[in-house]
Amino acid sequence: MAVRLLSKIKLLPELRGAAYLSAAAAPAELSDFEVQHKTPVIRKQKLIPVAQYGGRHAVTMLPGGGIGPECMGYVRDIFKYIGAPVDFELVDIDANVDNDDDVQYAITTIKRNGVGIKGNIETKSEAAYVTSRNVALRNELDMYAYVLNCKSYPGVTTRHKDIDIVIIRQNTEGEYAMLEHESVRGVIESMKVVTASNSERVARFAFEFAKRNGRKKVTTVHKANIMKLSDGLFLETSRRMAQEYPEIEHNDMIIDNCCMQLVAKPHQFDVMLMTNLYGSIVSNVVCGLLGGAGLLSGRNYGDHYAVFEPGTRNTGTAIAGKNIANPIAMINASVDMLEHLGHHFHAGLIRRAVEKTINVDRVLTPDVGGTASSTEVVNSILGNIGRR
Amino acid sequence: MSLITRNVFRTLVQGSQHVSKGLHTSAVNADKNVCFAPFSMSSLQTSKEGRIKCTLIPGDGVGPELVYSVQEVFKAASIPVDFEPFFFSEVNPTLSAPLEDVVGSIARNKICIKGILATPDFSHTGELQTLNMKLRNALDLYANVVHVKSLPNVKSRHHDVDCIIIREQTEGEYSALEHESVPGVVECLKIITAAKSERIAKFAFDYAVKMRRRKVTAVHKANIMKLGDGLFLRSCEEMAKLYPRIEFEKMIVDNCTMQMVSNPNQFDVMVTPNLYGNIVDNLASGLVGGAGVVAGASYSADCAVFEQGARHVFSGAVGKNIANPTAMLLCSANLLAHVNLHSYSKMIKNAINKVLADGKVRTKDLGGQSTTLDFTHAVIHSLDHHQ
Repeated sequence: MAVRLLSKIKLLPELRGAAYLSAAAAPAELSDFEVQHKTPVIRKQKLIPVAQYGGRHAVTMLPGGGIGPECMGYVRDIFKYIGAPVDFELVDIDANVDNDDDVQYAITTIKRNGVGIKGNIETKSEAAYVTSRNVALRNELDMYAYVLNCKSYPGVTTRHKDIDIVIIRQNTEGEYAMLEHESVRGVIESMKVVTASNSERVARFAFEFAKRNGRKKVTTVHKANIMKLSDGLFLETSRRMAQEYPEIEHNDMIIDNCCMQLVAKPHQFDVMLMTNLYGSIVSNVVCGLLGGAGLLSGRNYGDHYAVFEPGTRNTGTAIAGKNIANPIAMINASVDMLEHLGHHFHAGLIRRAVEKTINVDRVLTPDVGGTASSTEVVNSILGNIGRR
Repeated sequence: MSLITRNVFRTLVQGSQHVSKGLHTSAVNADKNVCFAPFSMSSLQTSKEGRIKCTLIPGDGVGPELVYSVQEVFKAASIPVDFEPFFFSEVNPTLSAPLEDVVGSIARNKICIKGILATPDFSHTGELQTLNMKLRNALDLYANVVHVKSLPNVKSRHHDVDCIIIREQTEGEYSALEHESVPGVVECLKIITAAKSERIAKFAFDYAVKMRRRKVTAVHKANIMKLGDGLFLRSCEEMAKLYPRIEFEKMIVDNCTMQMVSNPNQFDVMVTPNLYGNIVDNLASGLVGGAGVVAGASYSADCAVFEQGARHVFSGAVGKNIANPTAMLLCSANLLAHVNLHSYSKMIKNAINKVLADGKVRTKDLGGQSTTLDFTHAVIHSLDHHQ
């Protein structure tokens, strides 16, 4: 495949020339989106041309269930207000149907757009053959790394101040392999799958991320004292990878101790690398430390695709439609998306406005100790855009 | 949200209204209104705060007259766009700006509005590439979009035509590879590549998704050119699999042209290789009123160049003040929509529709006696600042 790709590039000198020319005329710095789509890597999938036309990107939007649709509405309002060069392709997924048509369609749209933003998609069906939609999406798109940037907002009252942790989580295997069976009546086995290739990919991702963002330390979280083979492999892989990055400090920590350390002394952590289930637990712990589910945003990365979502993957069905949901998480996800696409100017505009709303104006929803409604928060952000 | 936008807009526009009434003074105090889109244009080149820079190529023939009409309307509507004009022409090479300058400007500004460049039938220098082709290749403007839409009160044989024709314009017959292998035998190479065919097919489908269209028709001649057009067709079929909710059909180009003149309403989005696209564009434009009323645009990944849909220089009308500026004005409205200035875009489009629907001011091509300038002024007077 790679050979075929290379020969294709050779066959098209005018294509390459054109790319260089426009690259030379445009700013030289490549966005993450461009790195994903332009750098020659060995591709497992067939190359699909990029959905970028006249400087505008097409992005799949999956509102999901619960508070998703209203939060997406706020994101669209803000994007419209600042004129972000992004066209959303809206795909609704019906949570109640038993088939996977909508999910498959959503996956297809992300494949052709390369980028998506999503709320949490509900899976109401209890049938065993209907897999969790969120997991299906990640697995199908092979988005092996999940990044959660946990940074304190000074305007939100919490027990710990100035936390700045990045959680990187293996996103496609481990306990989420969805392989369970009843071998003997009354005995159910659930498989946790750890592969060397996926461990290596996510470890490299973590160290590259640390290097590119000027981070000092990577902590691998595991339970290799009990699961000596599976978690052992993960730990071993990350140790091996650490040797390639001598400038970054590497240590490891057992998951139970890690949780205790997190709530007691969170400042010792910088970048954290872990397998799937531990990542789910740890990211919720850290989100709790920083003010709950409504603030942080997470990013799913694969070799070709990126999907952005609120950090803790809560649906928020109970507070849907009451105008009290915290829109910040989804707005932060949209900022991440703009940065990924290379629209740093627009991303900066929104980020500064959000920070001003939270830290200076203190317009907050009830979940982080305020009294404002969702729309008041959004209006405050809109008002703060472009204001120093 | 829409309320906020509307109110901001209204106050700004009210401030500038006296200006639009006395429009021929041309000194429009646009600086007062700079803050409507203060932060919208980052990636686009902004000159003063909140103003957008746009490359302007008047072109040959009636191009300069039409471009003047656009500039007048922009001034009257106080649209925060600054033009960076370049005289660019193949038939007048001594005065023409160098290609690199124009390409650099468009790459910087990301947007351009362009009249038609005349292309002579012969080549003095022996070079086969026209200036148009050079510009497209340099910027990689691979996709040409022509939206053929019936306009109100424009007499034509068909009504409610509304189709989008998307044309690959960097390869195919336009590769400028011709040679005389034996005296008296000329070979012209038509190049079709999988990469570019997939790219244009994806563009067409993505455009259909964006515009909420239901069907994409691939136009080809694969029954004769089994390999070349066959590759194009296969690439389209391949891409269609990624769009299960859009209908895909294929049609041979000769049948397509017949269908187009007999039953154009069956078409929605069409995707074509280079030469067929050119023919179908012009044919479809003829259905709805001619070259003067159809807008088009060319896209690369980063830039968008807005130009007339059917490319005619109309050199017979130079200086006579009779050309129809509708197409160029529609182009400018599309440009504004592209850079997120939707309310301005709608303002211009509504004004054009109103003038056409009234039917009092018509240029010669639509059966009237009005001049280009009359039409422009009619549009300016119909601008509704209160939207």
